[in-house]
Amino acid sequence: MNLLLVGINHRTAPVEVRERMNIQEARLGSAVSDLAHRDGILEGMILSTCNRVELVANAREEVEAAPILRSFLAEYHHCDLAPFEPHFYWLRQQDAVRHLFRVTSSLDSMVLGEPQVLGQVKEAYATARRVGALDGVLDEIVRRSLAVARRVRRETAIGSSAISVSYAAVELAKKIFGSLSGKTIFVIGAGKMSELAARHLLRSGASAIFVSNRTYERAHVLAQAFHGTAIRFEELFATIDRADIVISSTGAPHFVITKEQAEKLLAARKNRPIFFVDIAVPRDIDPAVNELDNAFVYNIDDLEQVVEANRLEREREAARAEKIIEEEITRLRRRLATRELTPTIVAIETRLNRIREAELERFGGRLATLTPDQHQAVGALTRAIQSKILHGPLTELKDGADRPEHGNIVRLIRRIFGVGE
Amino acid sequence: MNAGAVLLWLAMALYALGLALTVPSVARRRPLLSPSALGALGLGLVFHAASLAVRAAEIHRLPITDVRSALSSFTFLATLAFFLVYLRYRIASLGLFMLPLVLLLTLLSALRAGSSFESPAFRSGWLLVHIASILLGYVGFFLTFIAALMYLIKSRELKSKNPRGFYFRLPALDVCDQLYYRSLVFGLPSLSLGILTGFVWASRTWKGPWELDPKILASIVTWLIYLVLFATRLSGNWGGRRSAALAILGFVAVLVTFLGISMWSGLHGYFPNLGGGN
Repeated sequence: MNLLLVGINHRTAPVEVRERMNIQEARLGSAVSDLAHRDGILEGMILSTCNRVELVANAREEVEAAPILRSFLAEYHHCDLAPFEPHFYWLRQQDAVRHLFRVTSSLDSMVLGEPQVLGQVKEAYATARRVGALDGVLDEIVRRSLAVARRVRRETAIGSSAISVSYAAVELAKKIFGSLSGKTIFVIGAGKMSELAARHLLRSGASAIFVSNRTYERAHVLAQAFHGTAIRFEELFATIDRADIVISSTGAPHFVITKEQAEKLLAARKNRPIFFVDIAVPRDIDPAVNELDNAFVYNIDDLEQVVEANRLEREREAARAEKIIEEEITRLRRRLATRELTPTIVAIETRLNRIREAELERFGGRLATLTPDQHQAVGALTRAIQSKILHGPLTELKDGADRPEHGNIVRLIRRIFGVGE
Repeated sequence: MNAGAVLLWLAMALYALGLALTVPSVARRRPLLSPSALGALGLGLVFHAASLAVRAAEIHRLPITDVRSALSSFTFLATLAFFLVYLRYRIASLGLFMLPLVLLLTLLSALRAGSSFESPAFRSGWLLVHIASILLGYVGFFLTFIAALMYLIKSRELKSKNPRGFYFRLPALDVCDQLYYRSLVFGLPSLSLGILTGFVWASRTWKGPWELDPKILASIVTWLIYLVLFATRLSGNWGGRRSAALAILGFVAVLVTFLGISMWSGLHGYFPNLGGGN
């Protein structure tokens, strides 16, 4: 295989450059087809997202693919590539494979462990297949990278914890309530952040939502959007005991919920837990409420702390993910090497076998006096000699797959045994 | 060592192996236990059952009428309960909480000399129901204790805002609470039945003020503690710290009643003084 990968990502290029190099989804199919059908290129794939643009190609042996990829990009974008060159990274062979594996497993993403990139790679793969740009080694490598990404997500916790404040709120709610189905949300103060948190909670299974705001109309609008109920601010405490999760973000300068009020709430709820998400500054919920049994108050700093702790956890998991990826690269390399060698091994064995059988026939006359048993022994003898002779070269072929001069060794052995290049 | 003892030691070895195998899963915050851990524990359970069967064959009735067998039966039921709870709730760290004590008690049962004390009183159906229900009650309360412990730890860590070791490895509070409630619903009636049948059997078998026997008094205290726990839970979610303290006290009472008093109670210990010997 002769792999070359060229790309830019959010680390090597600012957004203006990424914009310029971006290949739109609508034109992706024809672009990949163009790339893969260029002279010297056997297979190709293009991944173009808001954070990266990458081309990967499998070229014919002996072909230097870099100028081909460059001219493709220059022609596609109708521009001179020179000003953008410093942002490109070029990766070959195993490095390209490693990069593909890492990208698909979200190890190269802006947010470690984010789930979108796997879907993006899947789509890029589907498009390339559709236009016939993937039908060999590269096809297998991309398929493998999708499988590796799934393995990484399965065996590490890299993608399983919340990376934003609103997701952190959902995560915490689940730690308290287990499943969110049947749980009620109460939003006090209809603002952007509370809306976001409520949306995530509803999407994660919460069933009912009440919205209350100083100005009733705003509460009504938000409640409608969520198919919930608007509550007048004055009547807040009449209904709020039905809430399992309270999201508060009013602009009030004082506490909206004091410790005494929370005690009453808990009593009304027969001590069923309440989760207060206080995203207001100044705070809406008296922090002393957290001292009550079965009341949990998280303000914006606390949520950030959770996100940060999760980020650290993800980085730890990333180390394990890298190990898995190295394992997979070795496995893939061995598999590809064995596959490439099979025609050679078969050819050599066939040729030697023909020689053996031809000589047996030639000596047929002199062997005629042998008993059938002895004849069999001679056959076995010649086969044994053949396989012992072959053992050395075959081992060399299989074990040397990692070495750079391997290609030359294969060619040499083929020449020596007379099976052609 | 006879067959039963050998089987028990094998079971223990497998339990220890299973417990050790649960550690990596919990350490790595895997949601589930590894098949090898479950396999070792399951196989241990099978051997344990076999050892109890051997004992049952020896004495021609349920293996619960001497301390050693009763302990072994208890830990067998507890391990069975572990499996049922794990399968229902998929709590990976459950093993870490339950199995060490199970292992310890099984070891205790294996080390005690077997009692060969016989008495016609042991044939009584009332006695067997009594002991069996008490054991089931204890298993229920063991689960209650574990659930309370998990709830307490999780609640503490959630409040501290500082996610530490168990924050990621314990089930949701709600799950802990469910386990707490259900184990109480199972344990309290069982214990009540056990105490009642015990009274019936005692009134038929013993003379004199058997009501004042330490073990009986201790078991009534235990029963009262759990009654309070149950009533508190019914009237509302239990209030974290206070109920947790009570749940822990309750389980200590269970252990004292089960193990401790057996040694001291002249009348009621597993070495009863019914005019016979030890």
